[in-house]
Amino acid sequence: MSIVLENLTKVFAGRRVVDRFSLEVGDGELFVLLGSSGSGKSTVLRIIAGLTPENEGSVTLFGRDVTNLPAQERGVGFVFQNYSIFRHMTVAQNIEFGLRLRRVPRAERSKRSAELLERIGLGGLGGRYASQLSGGQQQRVALARALAYEPRVLLLDEPFGALDAKIRVQLRRALRDIQRALHVTTILVTHDQEEAFELGDRIGVVEHGRLLEVGTPESLYARPQSFFVATFIGTGAVLVGRCEDGNARFGPITLPIPAELPHEEGGPIRMLVRPEQVRLMEAPPLEDGTVALGKAKVVEQTFAGGTRRVRARLPEIPGLRQIFPAVPYGEEGILIDAILPADQPVPPEALICLTGWRILAQPQRRVLAIDTGGGSTDALAGAAVVARTLGASLRILGIARDGAQVERLRTLVTERAAAAGAPDAEVRIRTGDRDEQAATELAETYYHLCVAAARAARDRRRGAFVSPAAMERSGTPVLFVRGPLRPIQNLLLCTAIGEPGRAAIRFGGWLATRLGARVRLLHVHREGQPPPAWVLSHLDLGVRTLHGQSVAADYRVRPAATPAEGILAEARQGEHDLIVIGKNAARARSRDDVTAQVLQGSDRPVLVVGGNG
Amino acid sequence: MGEGSRIRTRREGDSPARDTSFPRWARGFPFLVVVATLFLYAVWPWLPGSKAAPARTIVLYGFSILGEALNEGVFPAFQRRWKAETGEHVELVSSYGGSGTVTNQILLGVPAELALLSLELDAMKLADAGIVPAASWRSLPKNGIVNRTPFVILVRPGNPRGIRDFEDLGASGIRIVHPDPLTSGGANWAIVAEWGAGFRSGGADAGRRILSGVWRNVVAQAASARAARTQFENGFGDALITYEQDVLRDRESGRLLADIVYPRRTILSEHTLVEIGRNIPAADRKLVEAFANFLWTDEAQDEFARYGFRSVREERNGAFTRIEDPFLISDFGGWKRAKKEIVDAVWKKEIMKESR
Amino acid sequence: MSAAQPEIPYSTSPSPTRRRRTRLPFAPVGFLLLILLPLLLMPLGAVFVFAFKGGVAAFWKAIRTPEAQFALRFSLLIAFVTAAINAVLGTFAAYVLSKHRFRGERTLGIVVNLPVAIPTVVVGTSLLLLWGPIGVLGKLLGPIGLQPMFRPAGVLLAHLFVTFPYMLGTVKPLLDEIEGTYEEAAYTMGAGRWTTFRLVLLPALRGGLVTGALLTFAHSLGEFGATVMVSGNLRLRTQTAPLYIFARFEAGDIAQANAIAAVLAALSFLIFFFLFRYTGRTKRAG
Repeated sequence: MSIVLENLTKVFAGRRVVDRFSLEVGDGELFVLLGSSGSGKSTVLRIIAGLTPENEGSVTLFGRDVTNLPAQERGVGFVFQNYSIFRHMTVAQNIEFGLRLRRVPRAERSKRSAELLERIGLGGLGGRYASQLSGGQQQRVALARALAYEPRVLLLDEPFGALDAKIRVQLRRALRDIQRALHVTTILVTHDQEEAFELGDRIGVVEHGRLLEVGTPESLYARPQSFFVATFIGTGAVLVGRCEDGNARFGPITLPIPAELPHEEGGPIRMLVRPEQVRLMEAPPLEDGTVALGKAKVVEQTFAGGTRRVRARLPEIPGLRQIFPAVPYGEEGILIDAILPADQPVPPEALICLTGWRILAQPQRRVLAIDTGGGSTDALAGAAVVARTLGASLRILGIARDGAQVERLRTLVTERAAAAGAPDAEVRIRTGDRDEQAATELAETYYHLCVAAARAARDRRRGAFVSPAAMERSGTPVLFVRGPLRPIQNLLLCTAIGEPGRAAIRFGGWLATRLGARVRLLHVHREGQPPPAWVLSHLDLGVRTLHGQSVAADYRVRPAATPAEGILAEARQGEHDLIVIGKNAARARSRDDVTAQVLQGSDRPVLVVGGNG
Repeated sequence: MGEGSRIRTRREGDSPARDTSFPRWARGFPFLVVVATLFLYAVWPWLPGSKAAPARTIVLYGFSILGEALNEGVFPAFQRRWKAETGEHVELVSSYGGSGTVTNQILLGVPAELALLSLELDAMKLADAGIVPAASWRSLPKNGIVNRTPFVILVRPGNPRGIRDFEDLGASGIRIVHPDPLTSGGANWAIVAEWGAGFRSGGADAGRRILSGVWRNVVAQAASARAARTQFENGFGDALITYEQDVLRDRESGRLLADIVYPRRTILSEHTLVEIGRNIPAADRKLVEAFANFLWTDEAQDEFARYGFRSVREERNGAFTRIEDPFLISDFGGWKRAKKEIVDAVWKKEIMKESR
Repeated sequence: MSAAQPEIPYSTSPSPTRRRRTRLPFAPVGFLLLILLPLLLMPLGAVFVFAFKGGVAAFWKAIRTPEAQFALRFSLLIAFVTAAINAVLGTFAAYVLSKHRFRGERTLGIVVNLPVAIPTVVVGTSLLLLWGPIGVLGKLLGPIGLQPMFRPAGVLLAHLFVTFPYMLGTVKPLLDEIEGTYEEAAYTMGAGRWTTFRLVLLPALRGGLVTGALLTFAHSLGEFGATVMVSGNLRLRTQTAPLYIFARFEAGDIAQANAIAAVLAALSFLIFFFLFRYTGRTKRAG
């Protein structure tokens, strides 16, 4: 193996931009790191080159551990997105720069640069300056410059990102040829999956600083493991069904679950359907391996040269939901895309049949409970119940004031976890400021939900609780538990503050499907000021969205002196077991902080959902 | 659009002839030549071998009107004398400004070895600050007074406003340029001259009247006597009260485009030499003292006279215009009293308040 | 004038931009000249007129006096040294401010530019109060023989202070413009920090360095306010050309003052001629 990365981790401002990243790249391989912007893929590349220091982990190049070597001594070639051609040097001088540093004789240098110029198709342009070259030519020069001193590793950071589409295609081919010819081990970083498919011997998909899946373009496309990779690469729809009797049941159809896939009887299961696996038929299929999903209306078609992309809408099907692409807010049903030959007529209505599918692995859900080591264990017990319901793993975070207390706290928290019915939860202890450490934990690891004890208004022991603001800052939904958690059957989704929070509705709906709970949307308006029409229409759309998620839902509008009062009154009256409320945008004045008022005033658990939940 | 065409358009702006025929390094050549020339010119006197060992120096700070007389008359005379006596060449380094400015510079620590101040008061300031021993200048010949010059009135050619004496300056519509008493020694002399002229004719009230008449008409104050003079020469104002010396030289050379009016009564300003002992290196003490004493020799006094200063020895002043009733600062009890009773009490407290 | 030329309808004259250059902006250019005439051009002209009032011989005599020669040489020397030192200091400051992020960076960025805004007399006074014989540092340094004030070193100190922002102002924007990957590219190819600075950054800054040095030089040549405070204004010792001019002017010697002023003006003209030539060229090349 020529490039071996082990457990690379990089933390920027409390965020893990690279998270336990391990990878092996073979000799002469062209490996592509594919990810959206901000996924940490460029940071990985910079760590390999020695331009960014890692916090943990090691980099080995051709058997040599270079983790502690500066960039100058790693001997890699690096190509930047912005070319970074030295402006005051000619093209030839740029290419010869690395050789000049290595004290290669002038004659040899110019021979080598002439060769490389020829190879990149810029023969004879060695005397030019960067300002006299186009972007594509500059990037070619950058490539030649990075290869001039014959590095064994070539790193390319979005090399074609700043170029227009046509030149990009040309350059890709040139890069592929040169890389093959020189047999240099290459890692290329890109967000463009077309580029990844065309260039990569193998592709690694990066998200949140983690390497999710690695494989050839074909295997990643046809057999993605995770939801993220399934939707990031290629197009298609992801549908959710249920495990029944060892099979996956998606509404009318029942499919076998691959043996290697762990699944939970009665739990949800997901399936990816690519457009080319979808057929529009008039009659139920006779051939083997083709299943019919149901009658659909064609709602949209796009001509794309030799093919035609058709979008069809299926009515609501019991036991079947769509989670990708997200059904537009306020609409119901299932939207499925199909690719048909352009010359095939498109019927206005047809039977949707699938010729292929891919059952996806269940995501690893994580719930974090924060325990201070004192007070009642109700919050821990609640977290255990929630984690079980969601099929998630539970981690309990304890925060010690200093290193001396770590072991004592660990024992204490472990005992409390066992007492609360979560004996197999993972216990993690951090040291330092309580609020700060909680926020750091939430920022570093992605949790679906965080559970914490709520402080009652009368409770003066401020120090015994983590500040709600610290937890909410991460954007993770936070469930505040007070007293024993009762089974949740009625969910109150508050939209009191202006427009109903879409994040709150989506997350609330997701929770309701798992809990099998009913949802009531609530809007509180000031007494004597009836809500405007748009509020009602938003509520209506919200209810339809929830219906789309197979959740029983209705809405209610009630007047009150203040939003918080209205919410609390409704919660008491309607016997709601859980209040879901959006995070307040402005935290400046507590008088306006509805979230804080609800938290203080309610004896029920409150779920606070942040921005994009 | 291929990549090639883009290059061609870029190239159009360049002038290829210049790019190819003129090597890159040579393009800045004229610039380098100019820089090198200037540099050589600047360092020439400091180049090794271009000069003998540095001469000993005397550093003198003087009030503004002394510049010419010292630089062109007295210094060369002393250099000749010293060279003849000892064979050594000495340099005289000098700086000129308003008497108050010079005093302040010395207070701030400029390396003056000698100071020629227009006002004994400034010398006292140095003594008060502990820079020189109190009244040390009194032990020099003539109490440290090097030369004198009366205060006169300068008017436009032909005296169009008909000014004959200080009294006439109070007439309405006359615009007077006056140095600033806060920084200029000359200005303080002028104030005493104005007040004293009245006092000697009609007592303190008359002094006050003349002074207030003058200051009602002051339209510009300059930092030093010299600066006031320059303003006047540039056409500003109808009258300027200044040292006689200051205008005599120019009248001789024909450069002066103004008339001198000699008041009937005026003060003879006296200029004090102060030795600033702590700035004089021990090795140079003899030299500096020799120069100080030289200032009272006939040779130096004649040089001063050539530049319009009246000698401290009255018998040598026959060539100067006679003044009917000249007076000295000692007639008012010396500068300390005069400053308190005339400049501060009358001018600053009464007249400046009035005119405001 | 071209403005009077009739427009030829079917002319094959060069390009529209060229025609535009000669015809359209006559009014604004004329207006600008009208404003500049009393503001700038006439006073500048007056310097030369007065300098040569007494004929070339008088002018020659005026600039040949030892005092004038000393003042000119001293000014040039100080300007050279100031430009050289500030070229290094300013570039270093620009590098630090541009490439490093640290607490108080913005404040420091403002502070180093302040010398432009502070009256130079104030600069001189504060230097005097700090370094002078009665100053805070001066009291400590005086006894060990370090006393820069009223010496050439003091003049240099004042000039370094006053002209500091010019180098920074021309180099920092260039450095800011250079993306971080520019240096990183050099690092990956094997160049150390210093090599990178020397071979990659410095050449890219060359235009700014020359411009900054010329501006510093020009400003140092004309500096008056701070110099008059710290130099002691000693002829043949610390008197710079502007101080000499002022001294001559105060002494009523306007012709002599103007003779030196004319020399300074000519030097400045030369400096700015090169400045424009240089900036013009780098713009075309970059």
